[in-house]
Amino acid sequence: MRTLFLGAREFAPFVDLLIGSTRVIGPVAKRQKFVFAELESSGDLRLDYDVTILPPKKVFFPPVQPLVCFDAASVRDCIDPVPTVLLGVHPYDVKGIDMTDLLFRERHADWNYLGQREATTIVASGVQSVAPRAFWASIGTEIAPVGHDAFLTAIDGGYVFEPRTPKGVALARHGAFREATPEEIAAAERANAEAAERCSRALPYTSAEIAERVRAAFRDEAMWDALALDCFSCGSCNTVCPTCYCFDVRDTWNLDQTSGTRSRYWDACLTREFASVTMAGGEKENFREHHQSRFRHRFMRKAAYLNEKLGGPACTGCGRCAAACTADIADPVRVITTIMEATA
Amino acid sequence: MSDTHSASPDGEHRGLFVPREAKIIHTSRPTASEKHFTLQLASGEPLKFTPGQILEVGVMGYGEVPIGIASSPTREASFDIVVRTVGRVTTAINEREVGDSLWIRGPLGHGFELEALRGNDVLIVAGGIGLCPTRSLVEYILDRREEFGRFTLFYGARDPLQLLFTEDRVAWRGSADVDYFETVDRADATWSGNVGVITTLFHKTTSITPDTRVVICGPPIMFEFVLRELDVLGVARENIYVDLERRMKCGVGKCGHCQINDKYCCIDGPVFTFAEIHELEEAI
Repeated sequence: MRTLFLGAREFAPFVDLLIGSTRVIGPVAKRQKFVFAELESSGDLRLDYDVTILPPKKVFFPPVQPLVCFDAASVRDCIDPVPTVLLGVHPYDVKGIDMTDLLFRERHADWNYLGQREATTIVASGVQSVAPRAFWASIGTEIAPVGHDAFLTAIDGGYVFEPRTPKGVALARHGAFREATPEEIAAAERANAEAAERCSRALPYTSAEIAERVRAAFRDEAMWDALALDCFSCGSCNTVCPTCYCFDVRDTWNLDQTSGTRSRYWDACLTREFASVTMAGGEKENFREHHQSRFRHRFMRKAAYLNEKLGGPACTGCGRCAAACTADIADPVRVITTIMEATA
Repeated sequence: MSDTHSASPDGEHRGLFVPREAKIIHTSRPTASEKHFTLQLASGEPLKFTPGQILEVGVMGYGEVPIGIASSPTREASFDIVVRTVGRVTTAINEREVGDSLWIRGPLGHGFELEALRGNDVLIVAGGIGLCPTRSLVEYILDRREEFGRFTLFYGARDPLQLLFTEDRVAWRGSADVDYFETVDRADATWSGNVGVITTLFHKTTSITPDTRVVICGPPIMFEFVLRELDVLGVARENIYVDLERRMKCGVGKCGHCQINDKYCCIDGPVFTFAEIHELEEAI
């Protein structure tokens, strides 16, 4: 597919035309931070963002998602995809989406997720500002992002646009694109390479080394106790993670008290009751009773358990968990480095 | 259950979470807290499943809980579940009566490997409510008795009031098809049988050999002690099947609550061979 170029002045009309024809979600400013939100005009779009508060998985897997609608007479699914363009997704978040795509599709295909996923066109964009806690340039480097339909890079004078799929090609019809020159393509490559250099927090280990050593450290209770000492079990690390996808299911009634909805709600494996089962007489059997065991479980999932399926760690290096953690203990660079150095 | 579950026959994508209606055709109250339901799908089709598989059973507006099927697929006219009242959902389920409906998803998960059991001696060790999912296998073996070797059943409960399936137990006691042993942890004035934890039953029989296929289902604390007895008897890990309980919320390997290290109890289990899980730190 030919790589295209859009002049800086043509960019706003392109985005506005898209907004006029479909729902467009992209990064916008929210006080001092950024969020993915529906764009009302091209002026809202902030492609210079560093990281958003929540990852874009919320487009397909929202914090509350209806699964089943019921009334006195019937029960039916409520899969209702809205055609959407998701604009300005950083490559580390595309990797996150690739992972949730696989996890929701494998074994039992979950169309409550996949329905909206397939109705969405993703335009990735190169990172312009690096978030303070990000380490995406050094983790899971053997996995390339693949779920986007096009890749957009800002260069002097405009944007280089690389379509990857027919959906990406179709998108370019909304703008005054022309074929990119070799110089423009080279400038885009340079811009993205420079951003990666600025992402300097690093884990200087291969994914295989990390997976092996983290898994082998399972029974080092003293180390996990120390790593998780200040954990409040709040689940903030789960909530902001692009590859966390655990959920609870709850029913709610409508005002008529006969119809209602069964919905899933984001859940967090760090929270106390997550693996708890109620037994006879109301007694609880909590299969991960201590915060250390829950903290460890999350790192096992991210660094070791899912590697075989995903081809690398279930961590994209976005740094959101590090920034969101109340006690500032969730940073994967800290945790993994501690384990690697302790077992060296 | 196949991977194409979420596509309906016309190829349209269906939600994984849409339950089927099951009519309640009989109920009984074996104990103060448990209710035994006999169900039929509202569609009239038989429920096809393997013993050991689970259903997500619910009442719309309240929620769903994972329940092992308590009857054998050889008895196609209906299927049974036993639900213990412990929380909001199970309370709502146990308030339903004959003529009402429950909403079910499944069968889900990995049941007992019947091919591996066939032709062999089988021991089932069931503690408490663990008899419910294993009753499916008990009935299956009794219905196809000639396909199995010597069949032994151990059942233990906390006290005589907690014992389930009274009619079945009377039949098993008098049956030549099963060597049935039962015990209670604490006796009362009505009890004249064995008193003691379930492992005391191992001393009542000499029919368990290293080649016996063993199925264990019960409260988490029970597994460790039963496994210790089996180790003394020399039963290989590959021949031991454990039916585990976890918080199997979605039943389709997504929601994360039932993870045991890297396994999902709901789709990789709930029946595992001990060989599969003995190295998992979080399993037993």
